[in-house]
Amino acid sequence: MGAPKRPATILVVDDEPQIRRALKSILSTRGYKAIFASDGSQGLALTMDQNPDLVVLDLAMPGMGGLDVCRELRTWYTAPILVLSVRGSDADKITALDMGADDYVTKPFSAGELLARVRALLRRASGQATPCPVITAGELEVDIAQRRVRRAGEEIELTRIEFEILACLAQNADCVVTSKMVLEKVWGPEYGEDTQTLRVHISHLRRKIEPHPSLPRYILTEPGVGFRFCTS
Amino acid sequence: MRRGPRTVERYGYLIAAVSVVAATALFSPGRAHFAKGQWALLYLLVVGLVAGISGVRPAMAAAVLSFFAWNYYFLPPYGTLRVADPRDWLSLVVFLVVGVAIGVQTGKLRDREAEAKARGHEAELLNRFSARLVSDISVDEMAKQLVAEVAEITGAGSTALFLCSDSSEPPRCVASRGTDCARSSAVAELVTWAREQAKAIGLPAVPRGIQPQTDGWPVTASHREAGIGAGRRDMYLPLQTATRQFGVLYVGEREDGSAHTFHEARLAVALAYQASVLLERTQLRSVEVQADALREADRLKSTLLSAVSHELKTPLASLEATFTNLLEQDTPLDESSVRPELQAVKQDLDRLNRSIDSLLDLSRLEASAWGPQLDWHELGDIVGAALSELPEPERTRVSAALPPELPAIHVDFGQWARALEHLLRNALAYSGSGSPVRVGASSTPTEVRLWVEDQGPGVALDERERVFAKFYRGSSAAAVSSGTGLGLAITREIIRFHGGRIWVEDVTPHGARFVISIPREPSAKD
Repeated sequence: MGAPKRPATILVVDDEPQIRRALKSILSTRGYKAIFASDGSQGLALTMDQNPDLVVLDLAMPGMGGLDVCRELRTWYTAPILVLSVRGSDADKITALDMGADDYVTKPFSAGELLARVRALLRRASGQATPCPVITAGELEVDIAQRRVRRAGEEIELTRIEFEILACLAQNADCVVTSKMVLEKVWGPEYGEDTQTLRVHISHLRRKIEPHPSLPRYILTEPGVGFRFCTS
Repeated sequence: MRRGPRTVERYGYLIAAVSVVAATALFSPGRAHFAKGQWALLYLLVVGLVAGISGVRPAMAAAVLSFFAWNYYFLPPYGTLRVADPRDWLSLVVFLVVGVAIGVQTGKLRDREAEAKARGHEAELLNRFSARLVSDISVDEMAKQLVAEVAEITGAGSTALFLCSDSSEPPRCVASRGTDCARSSAVAELVTWAREQAKAIGLPAVPRGIQPQTDGWPVTASHREAGIGAGRRDMYLPLQTATRQFGVLYVGEREDGSAHTFHEARLAVALAYQASVLLERTQLRSVEVQADALREADRLKSTLLSAVSHELKTPLASLEATFTNLLEQDTPLDESSVRPELQAVKQDLDRLNRSIDSLLDLSRLEASAWGPQLDWHELGDIVGAALSELPEPERTRVSAALPPELPAIHVDFGQWARALEHLLRNALAYSGSGSPVRVGASSTPTEVRLWVEDQGPGVALDERERVFAKFYRGSSAAAVSSGTGLGLAITREIIRFHGGRIWVEDVTPHGARFVISIPREPSAKD
């Protein structure tokens, strides 16, 4: 359903042949053009050569690791990078995001999860030039241009800070946004560490926009990383 | 040497008296032949001799005795202390002054020489002891030598070394000599006191003219403290360094019942210091060894964890991705697209199975819970069984050429097939795809050899032992993504278990050959 007219090229960098095979099957069935690299340096070469629309990058690779590839790529490559990580290596994940990776999927992942991330990233990348003025998620409508939020047609009053946070998350709908990114966007670069304050504001925000604030469906927490605005 | 100075000291005055009496007896027959003043010179000679043998004080005594003897026997009127010629009084006074002066000077020289000799002896003893300490002796050996050495130096009737393994326990006797002091409760009590207070008991007073601190005297010495030390003839010397306490050296009273001299005590203290240094070194080393072992265990644990998580999770991740893909609404489910998916699933399951097998094998090996079933088997059967475990396309790369007259070997069939399978998979993985892998065998009257050789890059010299270590993956492993790093470790354990050996050697022009050698007579460990 999400396959664009011109098939998006997706480069998969993973050292495990079985994972590459599974991804090939998942991606090509959906009309994406999948190309593969089995190690970091080959991944860099292929990115330069084919200029893919998205890179799926495994973090745990022998030789040149995923973090090195990510750092190297971000010196010139602007399209989204989706990181594959294993559970328990949160530090690597956060480092990768700080280095400019756009999102991550934890192994083992389901095909649906991976496809949702891929779609979200490609959508965001294609719409980067003209950001969508109104973002809809279920009953929730976030109107960036008019700075208004409605749920089921009903206006919700938000403070300036709360709206900024929500806008930041919604503009990256379905993609992870690190706490640091939100803090820097809303408060400024020097506030990047104050996650406690952010958590307090998020909880206020949830009380206003979530139908069940203790069981959020719009603003999801990514433990240890940040938040994700969920549209589905 | 040890006895000499002490004997002379005690009998110094006797020697002085005997010398003067003997000289007088020798001189008196010749009284008529010499002038009365010349005898004074001979007496001065006697004073000098006494000074040389017995030191200053006996020499002075000899001078005084000679004064009287000369007066009595050689100055008229003979046989009385009266003096007829008033000039003789002058001679007598001069004689006394010169005699005492000679005695003092010669005695001092003699004392200095004796002192130098004693210091030399001390230095020699210390050197000898420290030489033994650096020759890396055990604590028990050191304790024995320490008590023996101290007993010899001090002449103590009994010596003992008490050590405590940790600070909460009372010190325990590890070596003793002479009468059984180790069981005396009085000794034990003072040993405990000395250790707790970290102070020596019973050290003799420091003689005048000696700087205790600069001479290695224990600064903490407190033999007068708490009334414990007063009048003691034995010593309790704590063994300690700046940071640690090890125990107490007990030095009993001298065999002849006299108190220890300062110099003896100082030597004993110096030896105790050296023993403390050895003990500290030993403790530090054992701490270091423990830390090393812990580090290694830690490293193994974390490598095990990462190997397990990688080897089990990768096929699981692949399975999850494949299955969830099949479950997605928009995935076509016709035969031509499902079949390759199922083949991939089969491969993942095989890999998962192998990883779990390897981990189980390893834990069984480590728990020595193999329970081998030894029997006589043909090598060809084992090779065949190992080959059948390999996936089809890989199997065609392997060629086996076994000589016809190979003897049967007495082994566990399943384990050997597994060991060989590990070697084959290893060779297949580490040599280029498509390059051949050969299995060969040979036999001598004493052993049977089986080898697997590939045409890969080979194993570097410095890795030939390490490739068999658990979780070690060769430097070329980056090119080979899968593998627990356990295969060769398991193989070696299996081969060792059967009393065989395994090693790796070079193949010309390039490649590695893993050779297993097993004796023809069964010698499996029970």
